[in-house]
Amino acid sequence: MSALGEARIRVPDRITRGEVIVVNALISHPMDTGFFRTVEGQPIPAYFVKDVVVRYGDQEVARFEWTSGVSRDPVISFTLRADREAPLSMVWTDNKGGVFKQSANIAFVSA
Amino acid sequence: MSHADNNSRRRFLRAAALATAGLLGSGALSTGERLLAATAPGADPGDPEVPNEEVARILKGLFGDRPIRRGHIQLDMPAAAEDGRVVPVIIESDLPMTPERHVKAVHLIVDFNPDAHLAAFHLTPAVGIVSLSTRIKMKRTTWVRAFAETNTGDVWADYTRVQVLLNGCG
Repeated sequence: MSALGEARIRVPDRITRGEVIVVNALISHPMDTGFFRTVEGQPIPAYFVKDVVVRYGDQEVARFEWTSGVSRDPVISFTLRADREAPLSMVWTDNKGGVFKQSANIAFVSA
Repeated sequence: MSHADNNSRRRFLRAAALATAGLLGSGALSTGERLLAATAPGADPGDPEVPNEEVARILKGLFGDRPIRRGHIQLDMPAAAEDGRVVPVIIESDLPMTPERHVKAVHLIVDFNPDAHLAAFHLTPAVGIVSLSTRIKMKRTTWVRAFAETNTGDVWADYTRVQVLLNGCG
């Protein structure tokens, strides 16, 4: 199991300008609901990613509001119209103030 | 719990779920839901009934009194989820994503979850199309609702009922 907050973003290897690509992102996070207890009977407090911001260059292109109802180690896939070469960056923020970042480069194949 | 215990428990749960599915397939329950749903504003016959105050409050808060129509959004989930902790969700829409006309938000509601408004996905035309997928937790067998809200104020919906064999919410 990866370390807390370790994140990956996967984009296609070969992207042509103007193409709508699929972006897959994954972060390691327990996404505890607050409804479970440990084997010893101690309550496990709610601990989950509540906000995900996606930026393409300087532009915010999507923002996801999550609850602890998203599964452990959240995955999300979404699309992006790749119309310029720029970094795609994501910031995951959890309910305890943890901030986790990752980025991927959107670059076009040369003709 | 040993692996053997776990396996026999799973076989029992699966058998129970299949039995339940058979009962639901008889149609008595779904007919009742259809009749009630027909009284909701903008509802199509066959829309699931709003099950409780919580979901009613969420819908009112998100969409006010705007009509909610079926169409232009597709919610794909397994008909039966063996483990409610990890249930795949795919949401797609054929609505345009242009600066003039686009889907500005997709909302996912799971009727009997502790936090029924499970996720909101705020989008811009830069995403090109609406195509989202993730994995969610489900407490019990219930309807799942996906809504696409456009920048012009239209609300489109799709619904799917998911059988949950193992409570994923605690």
